Formats: sequence, structure tokens, C-alpha cells
Amino acid sequence: MRAFRRHKGRFVAQLDAGERAVVASVVADVAELLGAGRFEDGPREGDQPAAVPGAPAGWSLRTAPVPPPQDPAVRRLLPDASRDDPEVAGEFRRLTEDDLRARKIARLRSLWTSLVHGEPGWPEHALVVAPHAADDVAATLTDLRLVLGERLDLRTDEDSEALYDGLVSESEDDVRAYLASVYGALSWLQESLLAVMLAAPDGGGAGRGRSGG
Amino acid sequence: MGVVPATTVPDTRPDVDESTSTADAWVTIVWNDPVNLMTYVTYVFQTYFGYPREKADRLMHQVHEEGRAVVSSGNREAMEVDVQAMHSYGLWATMQRGGQ
Repeated sequence: MRAFRRHKGRFVAQLDAGERAVVASVVADVAELLGAGRFEDGPREGDQPAAVPGAPAGWSLRTAPVPPPQDPAVRRLLPDASRDDPEVAGEFRRLTEDDLRARKIARLRSLWTSLVHGEPGWPEHALVVAPHAADDVAATLTDLRLVLGERLDLRTDEDSEALYDGLVSESEDDVRAYLASVYGALSWLQESLLAVMLAAPDGGGAGRGRSGG
Repeated sequence: MGVVPATTVPDTRPDVDESTSTADAWVTIVWNDPVNLMTYVTYVFQTYFGYPREKADRLMHQVHEEGRAVVSSGNREAMEVDVQAMHSYGLWATMQRGGQ
């Protein structure tokens, strides 16, 4: 794996076939947690989480409360908007959760496609990100790391520091060591992407912010 | 987000200045978490809110060291938009009435 660098106006990292397969499978796993079908199973179908019956496509007509996700990893991707006010948290979930799920799934699919199919005209090991898409890729890498972090029981800053220090990867638990190594690689990859985004003359994610902030 | 289109019903609410009414003063809070990179949190505050680097960096450090920081304020609807944006970026944000 090689860090992101700016090349021909794009942000380009290098992942060999094995690394691409590992990251793509994590991407597909996270999308499945969010309610998408398996990306490997075919195009587009199942990307949209269950719609409100009878609602026109693209409309959210939820009127009933949406319960918080049971899986703590999904709940980290779609967190409560209030710690102590169920009315605020419930109303927020009703208004926003479908959109947020769909948006995260669409971003995941885009990254999955890049990992599996590559970019025409570029070497097969290149992971190519256009500057205007870098914001979405950085956010998606965050979503992957949030799920892995939850599975690794990262609860405090000390937990994640211990992980970076390699204490966990020396663990006798093979699954945990594997997750920790993927988490570490994705953290490193994300940090390198942010470095090129912030160094870019056009900045990163320009125009995505709210107006009048 | 799934907002209802602009209302066509006459506005019968009392004439209150929403920018100063405490009833409409809400804040968005971002909480510390062990996963998000400090660089990324600063980047999000700069990119989404349009805050200068120095302010974004200060807020990021406040989140990291104090566990939370108020990152924006406004009426409830505006805070819903900001919280949803933070959740889209993978930051854990909550909203509450200001002064609580």
C-alpha cells in the first residue's frame, strides 16, 4: 500500500490486489450493515433501504418513530442526535435517517467500484480519487474505521493509542489482530488523503459546506 | 434532509424575533471519540462551517481535550441540518437547547 499523492490532478494511492480485496470486503460489509444488498451480487438492486410503502420514489413520508439501530456499529454510523431527550433524538431520526443511510451507501458503492474495477487509463494498482470526490472518500474511510473501531471495542483515546502502538496486533486473537491491522492501514490511508487534500491549491471539499456558516 | 416544502399556510405564530428568542436558541455539540483523526475533525469544521483554520483547530482541540465542543448555534431546524452533516462526516454530534 502506498499513500495518496497528487498526480495528474488526481489523488492517487496504490493498493495491490490483496489489499484492494480486503478493503473492498470491508466496504461491502459496512454497506450491508446499513441495509444495502451485497455489492458483489449485482448492480444497484437493494441499494435503497426499505422505503415507506406506497411512497413515491425519493420521498420520505415517515410519520412513525424510527427506533435506533440495535447493532452498536450501525448506531455509531447513525448516532442519536440527543443524549438525554428521546423526543429530539426520535424526531431527528425520523427526518434524517433514511437520507443518511442512502447517502452513506452511495458513497460506499462508489469506493467499492473504484477498488474492484479500478480507473480506466490508470495502472491496476492505482486507487484514483478526483479532488471533488475526495470529501466523500474521506468520510467513507471514516465510516469504515468507525465500524472497525466498534468491533475492536475502542472506547477511549487510550484504546486507540494502544492499537496504533501495536499492542493489539500482537494479541493472540487472530480476528482482532486482523481487524486491528486493517484499521491501522485505513487510518494511515485516510491521513495521507487528508494531507494531499489540505495541500491542494483548490483545498479539499470546496463548496460542500453550508452557506452562511 | 426530508424537509417539508415551504408552508402555504398563513403564519399565525406570534411575531417573535427568532434570532434572539431563547425558545429558538439551539446548539450543535460535537463529542470526542477514539476513532476520528484530529486532522479530519479540523478539516470538517473548516470545510462544512467555513471556519478559519485557527478556529477549526481550536474547536477540534476542545473536543479532544474537554470531550465536547459547541460548534454552531441557531434555530432547531438549522441545528438539525448541522447535526445531520456531522453524522454524514462520521462525527458524533447532538443538538440541544442553548443554555442547557
